[in-house]
Amino acid sequence: MSINGPVTRRQAMRAGALGVTGLYVAACGSSGTTQSTASKTSSAASSSKAPVTLNWETWNDHYLPAQIAAVKQATGIAARPSLESDDSDGYLKVKQTGGQYDIVSTDALWAPKYFHDGLTEPFDIASIPVSSQLYSVAKEVPFWKAGGGYLVYPNGWSSVNIYYNPKYVSPAPTSWEVLTEAKYAGKVVAENQPTDLMAMAGLATGAKEPYGMTTAEISRAQDFLKSAKPAFLKLVSQNSDSVRALADGSAWMALENLGTDFRVKAAGGPVVKEATPKEGVVGWIDGEQMVKASSHKDRFHQFLNGMEQAPWVAKNFLVNGRPLFNEKAYKMLVNQGYKERADLLWYNQPEKALQLTLKGPSGNVQAYIDAFNQVFGA
Amino acid sequence: MALAPEAAVGSPHAVTPRRAPLARRLAPYAGFSPAVLLFGGFFLAPLVLIVLYSFWEVINYNVVHHWTLDNYHYFFSTPTYVTTLLDTLWVAALTTLLTLLAAFPLAYWLARYVRPSVRRPLLVLVIVPFWTSYLLRVTSWTTILGQKGVLNRFLELIGVIHQPLSFLLYDRPAVILVLIYLYFPFAALTLYASLERFDWMQIRAAMDLGAPPRLAITRVLLPQIRPGITVAVIFVFIPVLGEYLTPQLVGGTRGVMIGNLIVNFFQGAEYTRGAAISLLIAAFIVVLLVVFRKQLDVAETYGR
Repeated sequence: MSINGPVTRRQAMRAGALGVTGLYVAACGSSGTTQSTASKTSSAASSSKAPVTLNWETWNDHYLPAQIAAVKQATGIAARPSLESDDSDGYLKVKQTGGQYDIVSTDALWAPKYFHDGLTEPFDIASIPVSSQLYSVAKEVPFWKAGGGYLVYPNGWSSVNIYYNPKYVSPAPTSWEVLTEAKYAGKVVAENQPTDLMAMAGLATGAKEPYGMTTAEISRAQDFLKSAKPAFLKLVSQNSDSVRALADGSAWMALENLGTDFRVKAAGGPVVKEATPKEGVVGWIDGEQMVKASSHKDRFHQFLNGMEQAPWVAKNFLVNGRPLFNEKAYKMLVNQGYKERADLLWYNQPEKALQLTLKGPSGNVQAYIDAFNQVFGA
Repeated sequence: MALAPEAAVGSPHAVTPRRAPLARRLAPYAGFSPAVLLFGGFFLAPLVLIVLYSFWEVINYNVVHHWTLDNYHYFFSTPTYVTTLLDTLWVAALTTLLTLLAAFPLAYWLARYVRPSVRRPLLVLVIVPFWTSYLLRVTSWTTILGQKGVLNRFLELIGVIHQPLSFLLYDRPAVILVLIYLYFPFAALTLYASLERFDWMQIRAAMDLGAPPRLAITRVLLPQIRPGITVAVIFVFIPVLGEYLTPQLVGGTRGVMIGNLIVNFFQGAEYTRGAAISLLIAAFIVVLLVVFRKQLDVAETYGR
């Protein structure tokens, strides 16, 4: 990992040791969780240590290299992560390659699209023992229920807010309109996600459904982005690039996930603060899906049972910020003295996730991309 | 193959010679098979697909086989794309010119003044950047040109500036600078190969006959190394036209090239529009190569 959170070596080793213990327990199948009928195959699989490598289309904050190594050691399941730049990128790769991927991470309303297009398969979440560590709200997301099962193993959530450097940005932003102020020209970074940036512009201009805007709303959002374009220094491919830009002072504002302030500080950067625009924010809840054409579906449960153990999730929170859905990990963080930080990032309020304008596929993606390109072209 | 005697003398009853088995007739071409496989399978076939895609449309993330010219019409009717393409051409042309201007003196010096025993290590130095990855070479420029980069710190240290210069990075000049750096070895090596074979006595002869040095170079040297210059132009100009990563990493929102917009199309499943614009660029490159082809013929230089 390029970004190291303020975790001491001792804490990291403790987390690692707890993780290995958790994995050992999981691999031995000694969890006390009641298993449903559907979990029988996974239960059988969980005792298997036959080596296999799972191709995982995901984001870089969904795993730690040490975590993958520990899971491999405990279960024989290696993972080969490849990074997706955004949801449509991940969707298209799975669609184009069929069973080449075994697991794919996605956000909120993209999961039903994957399922309806025959790309993923629902599973019995209760059959994964580690799911007992999740907040109950994460197991009851209405649009993730389909086909008699659950579409996503929940990972984390966040809103996409404005993070700003108070040394240069004053007064504190209260609206997306701050992006159109001339004094911030060339001082804002955001991730290069055309549909999501258009949705954000839709929020700024009062669109009712930012991911399903009408032609007139798209036009207004485009005009807003046009007036905000001078503010954008660059559009980055991963959130770690935004953190770097804030840390080295080349950017004064970033449109980023919760926890960016901690990550900037950990990267040796200045104090940055979070602002929530009054027009509202786009957000996401994400997790892992089982690819329908995968030839290793029998190892999906076992792999996640290893990866999602609370000690690793807690460590991931400290490294990457943003709230996660593992309640047991939250309790561990509280015990380790991180309650204030976790609560500040709403880790203890997972129900907030479902109140956001959640990411999903656009109903008119062509119009979104066209509008976006016309703004950011030369 | 032995023929019957009648056949040999052209008898009207000559027996038609038996053709060699297919395998034997194809044997001389066997060496081409890897190239045919690679070229056909990984270039021609995808190219055909791109052509087809450019005439189809996308509905709800699915390519639908409805024949249409809309993708081309959209490109030419949207000023942003035409402007971005023209900007890309301008960046490619300027980069090519500056790269050749930077590479020529080095190649000239190496070919003319450096002892052959020293040339080889110096040539190795030219290609040293290739030992690291393309991505690393581009990314390293952000640590040189950035706000807290080497250049800004140096300028602050010597008192030239008191605030970091922000325009060094994330703008078009940064894109051009990095592209020159990336493609310099291609130009230098190509020009060197051309200059190395040049007979320098011709320059002396021209000057003995009264030609000033500049005239000797423009009338004697440059015409003879024209194919080398042309190849260098091709090696620099064409890849720069399709550049995506360099403008993405060091260009910011002001250094966008047409490749970046094409990527946005593919990222949003707009394959058909992406395919149409990609083909337009490919067509432009083909036209360019046809034009350059004449320049590669050295025989025309002296009207042979």
